[in-house]
Amino acid sequence: MRIKATTFNRVLLGVLLAIALLIPLLIRTNQYNLVLVTTVLLFGVLATAWNIIGGMAGQLDLAAFAYLGLGAFTSGTLLIRWNVSPWIGMILGGLVATGFAVLVGFPLFRFRVREVWYALTSSALVEVLKVAFVMWEDVGGPVERYLPYYSFSLYHMRFGTYIPYYYIMLAILVIAIVVNYRIGRSKLGFYLRALGEDEDAAEILGVDARACKLKALMIYAFIVGATGAVYACMYGFIHPSFFSGARSTEVAILGIVGGMGITYGPLLAAVILVSAREFLRASLGGQMESLYLVIYSVVLILIALFRPQGIAVFFRDAYRKLLSKVTGDEHVLRANTPGI
Amino acid sequence: MSMSSEPILQVSNLTKRFGNLVAVNNVSLQIPAGEIVGLIGPNGAGKTTFFNTITGLYTPDEGRVVFKGQDITGMPPHKICKLGMSRTFQVTKAFTEMTVEETVRVGAYNRHGEDDVMEKVDEVISFCGLEEIRHQKCGDLGLASLRRVELARAMATEPDLLLLDEAGAGLTAAELAELMEILRKLNREQSVTLCVVEHVMQMVMGLCERIFVLDAGELIAEGTPEEISNNPRVIEAYLGERAIR
Repeated sequence: MRIKATTFNRVLLGVLLAIALLIPLLIRTNQYNLVLVTTVLLFGVLATAWNIIGGMAGQLDLAAFAYLGLGAFTSGTLLIRWNVSPWIGMILGGLVATGFAVLVGFPLFRFRVREVWYALTSSALVEVLKVAFVMWEDVGGPVERYLPYYSFSLYHMRFGTYIPYYYIMLAILVIAIVVNYRIGRSKLGFYLRALGEDEDAAEILGVDARACKLKALMIYAFIVGATGAVYACMYGFIHPSFFSGARSTEVAILGIVGGMGITYGPLLAAVILVSAREFLRASLGGQMESLYLVIYSVVLILIALFRPQGIAVFFRDAYRKLLSKVTGDEHVLRANTPGI
Repeated sequence: MSMSSEPILQVSNLTKRFGNLVAVNNVSLQIPAGEIVGLIGPNGAGKTTFFNTITGLYTPDEGRVVFKGQDITGMPPHKICKLGMSRTFQVTKAFTEMTVEETVRVGAYNRHGEDDVMEKVDEVISFCGLEEIRHQKCGDLGLASLRRVELARAMATEPDLLLLDEAGAGLTAAELAELMEILRKLNREQSVTLCVVEHVMQMVMGLCERIFVLDAGELIAEGTPEEISNNPRVIEAYLGERAIR
């Protein structure tokens, strides 16, 4: 009977992926909507990557756009100065972000900076980088630096339409989810979840908390940094405003609201909340400029009050009920594994 | 009192201070391999601090800790665990969002890779009688079950020396008897050396071959349960001076 449950899971995954693949074809003439769905995917990627350090390891990281910005500037600068393809820039951007994560994470975890202090430090990081890049005129500076324009060049990752960016982002999202899923079922994942709950108890059981947290931070930074390269190409420029504290916080919020440590939770939150936010902004922005933020905040507060474990838990329970009906297997009702 | 077996743990002149408070004061003791020893003392005697200092959660101010012939003073807890020492906590530090099985799995990874980790998990779960609650979240468990999960996850690391910090506190007589049975089995069948910190005298007296008594951070007595229960300094420390006629 269990095989049936996995078959059902696979079919559902296939259907969702097919829908995701078809979306751009349905809205291909409307570039605004394409940016919108790509933005949803972008936040899906960031929040899914955040889940590794935030959801599993329990470190309230507020520096997503620090790593994204580093990736964007690395890849963008390489392209502008030396005509290096952003496809290579993606890897190098990810590596630069990872290197930076080690520089920051090593002392932080070494001196046991935890909880609120970690959150504050990581949050400050974004602002520090923003100022640093405004002042570093060779690479950043106060004015946007535009990437070379091509109406369609695969080598330069520059396209006249947003459709390819959507698919690139979707590919990164799939990778991020697979990485998440694999980690969640591995030794590292169990160690991260344990230390996320109680670091002392985990250490006593043989968990090298410092090394595990650093690994989590590096994986997260690499995914986010690589995404930064695509981000730069999609917008066509690089600018220190990429280092955005508010957006970094939003990534963490999506991770938390989605359901800490649940693989698809952050993605679910991104799909629902980012779409809702953008929809509200488009429909209400004309009348009252910031009204959408008020509604968005109220929604977040309501979720925090009534679904503190995250919206994914709500979906998971409903899905399990459906699954047990379809397969006739009651086991799925109590199976408690990260991922499903 | 035979000292025939090699000591698995040798603590010499261990001192731990917090500001002006000397929580552990110049304590020296040896735990012989294969035995069940007890560490008792009134509230605030420094038992938990002593545990925290030998397991690496605190760094000692003075003294040395030698485990299986290796100096482990100031070593981080995860390395000490790899060497074969584990412990449970007085206030249970449960992984509330993880199931019993997942919690035990964290411990089992200490000596097992992905291919055989579940075998170890199954073994420990059945040893501790946790089959019925194995898929429950630790956050949903009662005290007695939590204590057993604490024990199970520490056991799963396959320690040679297991330190139990008030594992019996708050348990009913029946639950206590069950726990003691598991501990005896663990000591006999898997030759794990046990050191139990206890308030519950019934448990210490029934279980331990040797008992150490701490009072105000100092080791004031050592001996068999009978010797300890007749030792005037111990009675004084526990019951106050009036108890000595």
